[in-house]
Amino acid sequence: MLVSRRAILWTAFSAAVAIAILMWKPTVLVYGLERAGLYAAVAIPMALVLGIVHIVNLSHGEFMMVAAYATYFSARALKVDPYVALLPVAVVMAGFGFVIYKLTIKRALKAPELNQLILTFGIAIALSQTVNLIFTGQSWKMSLDYVSASMSIGQYDFGIYDFVFVVAAILLAGGLRFFLTRTRMGKAALAVGQNAKGAAIVGIDVDRTYGFVFALAVGLLGALGAMFLTKQAIFPGVGGPYTMKSFCLVAMAGVGNITGVLWGSLALGIAEASMNGMRELRDWSSIVFFVIIIATILVRSIKERTA
Amino acid sequence: MKKSASLGLSLAFLALACALPLFKDIAPAVAGPYPLSLARSIFTYMALAVSWDMLLRSGQVSFGIAGFFGLGIYGSALAVLRFGVSPWLSIPIAGLFAAFVALLFGFVILRLRAIYFSITTLALAEIFRIVLHNGGAFTGGPEGLFVPNIISTDNTTLYWLALSGVVVALAASSWFERSKIRFALTAIRNNELQAKSSGIGIFAYLLLAFVVTSFVQGFAGAILFQSYGSSSPDSAFDSNYTLLPLAMALLGGVHSTLGPVIGAVLLGIVAETLKLKIPYGHLVVYGIIIVLVILFMPNGLYGVWTKFARRRTAAAAAKEGRDGLS
Repeated sequence: MLVSRRAILWTAFSAAVAIAILMWKPTVLVYGLERAGLYAAVAIPMALVLGIVHIVNLSHGEFMMVAAYATYFSARALKVDPYVALLPVAVVMAGFGFVIYKLTIKRALKAPELNQLILTFGIAIALSQTVNLIFTGQSWKMSLDYVSASMSIGQYDFGIYDFVFVVAAILLAGGLRFFLTRTRMGKAALAVGQNAKGAAIVGIDVDRTYGFVFALAVGLLGALGAMFLTKQAIFPGVGGPYTMKSFCLVAMAGVGNITGVLWGSLALGIAEASMNGMRELRDWSSIVFFVIIIATILVRSIKERTA
Repeated sequence: MKKSASLGLSLAFLALACALPLFKDIAPAVAGPYPLSLARSIFTYMALAVSWDMLLRSGQVSFGIAGFFGLGIYGSALAVLRFGVSPWLSIPIAGLFAAFVALLFGFVILRLRAIYFSITTLALAEIFRIVLHNGGAFTGGPEGLFVPNIISTDNTTLYWLALSGVVVALAASSWFERSKIRFALTAIRNNELQAKSSGIGIFAYLLLAFVVTSFVQGFAGAILFQSYGSSSPDSAFDSNYTLLPLAMALLGGVHSTLGPVIGAVLLGIVAETLKLKIPYGHLVVYGIIIVLVILFMPNGLYGVWTKFARRRTAAAAAKEGRDGLS
C-alpha cells in the first residue's frame, strides 16, 4: 500500500516535470529521451555482469570503444555500412570478452572486491592505451548521411536518428528479460547470480555460466560500439565516461533492477538536456551527472543503514 | 625489527636522494640536468603513491588522487596570484586547503565503502575540475593560470623542493606505520565489525587518514605548480595523476612505505624510457602491470622480498634449533 502510494506520487511528480519541460522547450524532452536511450543501452550489460558475475567491470566503456574502432576500420576497409559490420563485430567482441574472462576475471573471482576493482581498472587502461598505441590519439568519425535525418512537428525541428538508441535500449531490456526468464541458459544464469553455491549443487556449471554472461555482455557492447560509431567521433578515451555513467545508473537502480536503469537514464538524459538547453548553464551540464552520482550513492547508503 | 628496518631504508633513500645533486660535476650521467628533472617527476608521483597507499591501509581505494593534487595546484596558484601570498608559503597553504576540502567531504563520503567510496572520489575529482574550469576570471577558466616568475630557476633548488614533497609523504607514512594508527587502520581493513567492537573509532581514523593523505597530495601539487609556473584544469586534474601512483604502489607493494617508493623509482624510469621510444600509448605498460600484479603478485615486489626474508629467518632459526639439539 505504502509502496504503491509512493509510486503514484513519483509518477505524478515525473509527469509534472515532463509537462513543464514540454511547455517550456519541447525539443529538450526529445533530446533528453535520445540521450537516455544511449545511456540505458550501455548500462544494461553492466547491470547484467554485476547482477550475475558480481563484478564491477571498470573496463565496460573501453570494450565499447574497442568495438567502435573495430567497426570503423573493418567498415572502412570493406567499404560497407557500420550496421553491416554490427553483427560480426558483436560476435568477435563476445569471443574477446570470453578470452578476457578466462585470462583475468576468472582468476580474481574469489579475490577481495578491491582487487577485482583494480584489476578491471587495469584492463581498462590496457585496452584504451593499446588503441592509443596503434591508432594514436587522433579521433575518427564516419560521415553517414542518414544520421542527420530530422523531423519537424509544428515549429520545432529535431534530429530523429538518435531514436535508434532508444529502440536499442528497449530491445535490450526486453530481450534480457526474455533471456533470463524463458531460456535454459538464462534461468541458469539467474540462479547462479542469486546463489552460486546452490546453483553448483543442483548441477549448473557456474564457471561456464559466468563466462557466457561476461561474453554476452561484451558482445552486446560490441553491437552498441558499432551503433555508437555511426553518430559520434571515436578516440581512445571515449569509453571511459560511459563506464562511470553506467555504474552510476546501475547503482541508482539497485542490482538486478533493469527497469530502474531505464528510469534512471531518462532522468539523467532529461536533466542534462535541460541544462544544455539553457545558455547560461550550458558549461555546467557535465557536472549534473557527477552530482547525481554522489547524491544517489549517499541516499542509497543512508537507506541501507536505516533499513 | 621490521619497522625500524623500514624506517632505516627510507632514511637511507632520502639521504641518497638529497646528496644526488652534489655529484652533478662528477657523474653527469646520473646527476646532470636531465636525470635531475626526471627525478623531480618521479618524486611527484612517489609522494602521491605513498599517500594513496596510506589510505589503502584502511582498505579504502581512492580514485581521486588527481582531485586533491589538482586542488593543491590551484590552491597554490590562487594564493599567490589572488591573495599575494609568497610562493614558498603558498605550498603548505595549498596542502592545508586540500586537507580542509577533504575534511569537509570526508564527513559525508567516508561513510561509504568499497566501490561506492572509490567511484565517489573519482566523481569528486571531476567536480573539482569542472568547477575550476567554469570558475571564470578568478580561476582562469579553461586556459588556467600562470605565474610570471617561478619559485627558482635553479635546477638543484627545484630538485630539493620536489624532494621535500617526498619527505612530507614519507614522514606522514612513517608516523602512520610506527604509531597505533597502523593497528587501527589494519584492523579496519581486516574486519571492520571486529575493529568496531574492539573500541576503535573507525570514522575518526578514516577521517584522519583521508585528511592527511589529501594534505600530502595537495602539497605535491603545489610544488609542481611552483616549479613550472602554469597549469590548466585539464593538466592539473589529469587522470595520469591517479593512474600512475596507483600502478607504482601496486608494483612496489602495498601497505608499506617502501613499496610505493620502490615502485615509483622503477616505473618512473621505465615510463620515461618508453615515452622517448613510443610517444603514444606507452601507458599500456601501466595497465598490463596493474593486471599482472593483481593476478600473480598481489603483495608487490616488497611483499615478495619480505616473504623471502621471513622464510630465510625461519629457516635459519630452524637450523639453529637443530644445531642446539645435537
